[in-house]
Order: sequence, then C-alpha cells, then structure tokens
Amino acid sequence: MQTDRITGATLIMLGSLLIWWIIPWQAEEVGYGWLRPRTLPYIISAGLFFCGVWMMLRPVAEGLTAANWPRAAIYAGILVSGLALMSLFGFLWVAPPMALVLMLVVGERRLLWLTAGAAGTPSAIWVCVAILLERPLP
Amino acid sequence: MFDTATILAGLGDVFQLMTLLYVLAGVIMGQFVGAVPGIGPVMATAIAIPFTFGMDPLAGIGFLVGINKGGLVGGAIPAVLINTPGTPDAAATALDGYPMAQQGKPLKATKMALYSSVTGDTFSDIVLITVSAPLAILSLRMGPVEVMGLMLLAFAVIASLMGASIARGLAAAALGLLAAMVGTDPEHATPRFIFGNFEVYDGLPLAAVAIGMLAISELLFRLARTRSAQAATIRIPRDQPSEDRRVSFAEYWACRFTMLRGAVIGTLIGALPGIGSTAAAFMSYASAKQVSPDRASFGRGNIHGIAAAESANSAVMGANMIPMLTLGIPGSVSAALIVSAFMIHGVQPGPFLFEQQGRLIYGLFGAMILANLMNLLVGQVGMQFWVRVITAPESFVLTSALLLCFVGVSLAAGGLFGIGVMLAFAILGFVMTAFGFSVVVFIIAFFLGPRFEISLSQTLALLNGDPLRLLDYPFGFVMIVTAPGLAVWLARRSA
Repeated sequence: MQTDRITGATLIMLGSLLIWWIIPWQAEEVGYGWLRPRTLPYIISAGLFFCGVWMMLRPVAEGLTAANWPRAAIYAGILVSGLALMSLFGFLWVAPPMALVLMLVVGERRLLWLTAGAAGTPSAIWVCVAILLERPLP
Repeated sequence: MFDTATILAGLGDVFQLMTLLYVLAGVIMGQFVGAVPGIGPVMATAIAIPFTFGMDPLAGIGFLVGINKGGLVGGAIPAVLINTPGTPDAAATALDGYPMAQQGKPLKATKMALYSSVTGDTFSDIVLITVSAPLAILSLRMGPVEVMGLMLLAFAVIASLMGASIARGLAAAALGLLAAMVGTDPEHATPRFIFGNFEVYDGLPLAAVAIGMLAISELLFRLARTRSAQAATIRIPRDQPSEDRRVSFAEYWACRFTMLRGAVIGTLIGALPGIGSTAAAFMSYASAKQVSPDRASFGRGNIHGIAAAESANSAVMGANMIPMLTLGIPGSVSAALIVSAFMIHGVQPGPFLFEQQGRLIYGLFGAMILANLMNLLVGQVGMQFWVRVITAPESFVLTSALLLCFVGVSLAAGGLFGIGVMLAFAILGFVMTAFGFSVVVFIIAFFLGPRFEISLSQTLALLNGDPLRLLDYPFGFVMIVTAPGLAVWLARRSA
C-alpha cells in the first residue's frame, strides 16, 4: 500500500515535471497543423499524472517483485564500467575481463567454467561476428 | 487466373536440390540467430541479402524466407529457457514458457512453442496462398481511423491485463509512448526530447530499448538473485517422466482452438502493414486467458499460453506477405527486406506480380510450406541442443547471454551508443519490474507509438475538426468507443 502511494507520488511528480518543464523545453511550439508536436506529449503526461493520483487514492497491496537492489547495483556498475572501457579499448579487450569479473562476483570459482565464460564465449563471438559475418565488434 | 501448368511448374521448382538446401540453410541459420538476443531474423536477413545476389531468384528468396521462419521459432528459445526474449514478439511466449521451464519441463515448453509456431505459420501461409488478393483489398480499406482504433483496442487489452493494476498498466503504456516520441514528430518534423543528442533524431533504437528492457533487466534480476554459482540454470530431474519431455498429441489437440484463434489474430494483424507480431502475440494471449476456465494458471506455466503467443506471432509472417505480394506494400521490416531482395532479382512486387511472375510466386509458396516442415524437423534437433546448453551453470549462461546482448545490440543499433541506450533502459526496466509495472506494456507502446501518432494525426485531418465525422468510419468508431470500456471490464475480470 505504502509503495503504491510512493510510486503514485513519483508519477505525479514526473507528470508535472513533463508538463511544466520538459515538454516546453524539449518540444517546439508550432501554431498550425492537426497534431502539434506538444499535443500528444501533454496528453500522455496528463495521463501519467492521473495514474499517479489513482495509485495514491486506490493503492493495491500486490504486484511487487522482490529485488536485491545492492547486488543488482553492483552488476549494473560492472556493465556500465565495461561499456566505458569498451569505448576506450574495444570489445575484444574488455569482454574477457568483464565476463571474468561478472562470474567471480556471481561466485563461480571453477577454472573450467571461468575459462569457458571469460575466454570461450568472447572468442566464439569474435569468430562468428568479425570473421564469419565480417561485421565490426563494438 | 493461372493454368495448372504454371502452378505445378512453380511448385516443382522448389524441389530442385539447391533450392531445397538453401531453404534448409536459411531455416538452420534463422533458428540459430533467433535464439541469440539482439541479432534476430531481421538483422540476419539484412546480412544475408548480399549473399543471394549470385543465387537463382527462387533459391535466394527461399533462403531469406527460411531465415525469417527459422528466426520466429528461434526467438522463443531464450524466452522460454532464460526468460530473456530476444525480440519483443517472443515476450508473450516467456509469460508461460519460462514458468514451465522452471518446473523442470524446458523441452516440453520449447516443443510446444515449436509446434504452435509452425501451426500458426502454416495457417497464415495457406491463407496467403488461397485468399491473399481479397484480404489485401480488405486491409487496404483499413484507413487511419480504423488503424488508430485497432491500436487503441490493443493498448486497452494489453494495459488492462498486464502488470499489477490497471493504473500501473496505463502508466507503463504512457511511459512507452513518451519514449517513442523521442526524435522528430511525424507531422511537423521538429525535434522532440533529443536533449541536444542528434543520434536520437530518428528515435531511440528499438533493438536497444527492447533488449535492455526485456533481456538485460531480467538478467540483472537473475544475477542478483543467484545464490549458488554451481547451480544449473534450469534443473531437469534425472528421473523425469517421458511425458514431461514431449508434447503428446492429446496435449497438442487440446490447444487446437487456442492455436486457431492465435493464427486468425496473427493473420488479420499481419495483413495490416506496420502493427506487427508483438501486438498479435499479446492480443492472442489475452484472448486465450479470457476464454480459459482456468485463468489463474496463466503466467504459471499453462501450455495454452505458449500456444496462443507462438501461433499468433508466427502467423504474422505469412500474412505480412499479403500486402507485399499483391500491392507491393511491405507489412513489416522483414517483408521490406524481402521486397528489396525481389527487386535485386529483377522482380517488381505489386498487382501484376501474379501475372508476370506466376511461376516464381508459386515456387515461393512452395518454399514457404517446405520451410515450415524444415522448421519442424530442425527444431526437434535444435531444441534438444539448446536445452542441454541451458543445463550449464547460471554463472556461465547469464554472463554469456549478457555478452551476446552487447554484441547483438551493437550490430543492430549503432555500436556503443546503442549499448548505452540498452543499459539505460535495462535499469529503467529493472526499476519498473521491481515496482510492479509491466515492461512488456512499455515495449508494445514504444513499438506502436510512432504509427499511433501518425494514425492519430491523419484521423484528425480526416475529421477536419468535426467529431461527428467519426460516424462515417463505423469500424473505427466502434473500436475507439469500445476501447476504454473494454479496458475496465478486462481489468475487473482479471482482478
């Protein structure tokens, strides 16, 4: 119930933010035409606002999926760091250590599977994409 | 329209050894790339087109058709086995396929996906072969008002059935529509929500958004939940009874009406350019759930859920060819790529195609039916292979899936920028799922958003400021008026 109220309040804030700030800033004002650039975004933002009000007034006590937020944040951090490093060194050099770190954080310690994940999969991807398909890796 | 000799000659052409081998190669390649999140049949078709330059037209087009059909089956594999649909249209399959796989019946779930996919696909191919011309005329009569009404109906059905509550469903749809508005607006071509980033001028890349929301966010959930790295991704009991490893004829037959309904929905939606297989799969799933006496079992491994989703999304493929072959209008990206292959081989799709290239077209029809049979045979072997792969430890499977998503999105959505978009939407998907918002509703709204805005703009122009003119479009009017009431009714029924 409490989560629904908080989520509802967030949607109200998001709707308001869109209506009062983001749409006027990021969508041009046009004085002609049947469907102007701001019209549909305004309607949808108002819809978000009312969904938020609805959730605050009539909260339900179900539907949440249990999530391990700290662990998920660690994995998301590894992926974002991997992307940043890929922009500097490329997929070929970053994918093996990234896969290795991910598997170690999961708790994998068996050498065979660590090798398969950190060396086997990136190599197979390289062969399929760069050699067979002749497409560039990121 | 044709003499029997043309039809028989066309059908006979497909039985040449090289043509058969190319169709088979296409099916195998399609099933493989379909199983890899991010790559998918559309991209595989795009890559394969240059390889068809040197082929006989029928062999080349048959090869591309094989890739498309194989990809439809392959897309269900990661959806069922690790709950990471490689393409949005496989998301509906995951709703019941993944719970069934978790119950230790991955082979049964993937086989049901295979059988219902081939059934739906064959149904739409038969419709294409027999009544393509009248259906194309009917689909041409669906103007902007009717298309907008149909989309509103799809939003209403999907938003009211997915997610924890109707408010959450509608909010997820609203967020998806907002994301679809990034780029240039369709009527005035002015930039919207681009925040100075010109890479999103054409909108956010669908592959990156879909893989991020559906696959990466699920992988994050799975990784965060993993307690033992040594655990297999899916545990299959050693003493598993044989009925849990196969789909009996009685089970298949029990799903006949579900598959028929799905195939009809998929065929009708596929005949309309631009709506696509994702909406068809979810509409079929929703209707199967509504008519089932055991609604509570949907989402917990009900075999009818898999049958409904797969028969509908596969039926779209054949039906997409209806406007393409008869009018020259491609119904989807895949169909557009096949049109380009036709043109490369000097064949102009359109109203005169049947008269000028009758033999080739009947050959193509034969290749489509053969590709369905090959899908069935290749799938029987392929499913065994994938189910074995999935018994590897989670640490290996999930990490490999992440790397494949990185590469797939990079190829499909423009390099590192696409991967950045994918990760951003993965985090959004994680948060939305944690708070009970359906990421599937978001993706469908995102996918249909641009088409919806164009249809709305055209509808407003047609009405010319007079709402009463809506009465001139009775089908569109009924759908628009029915949509809100239907949403409330469905939400109450499923509550």
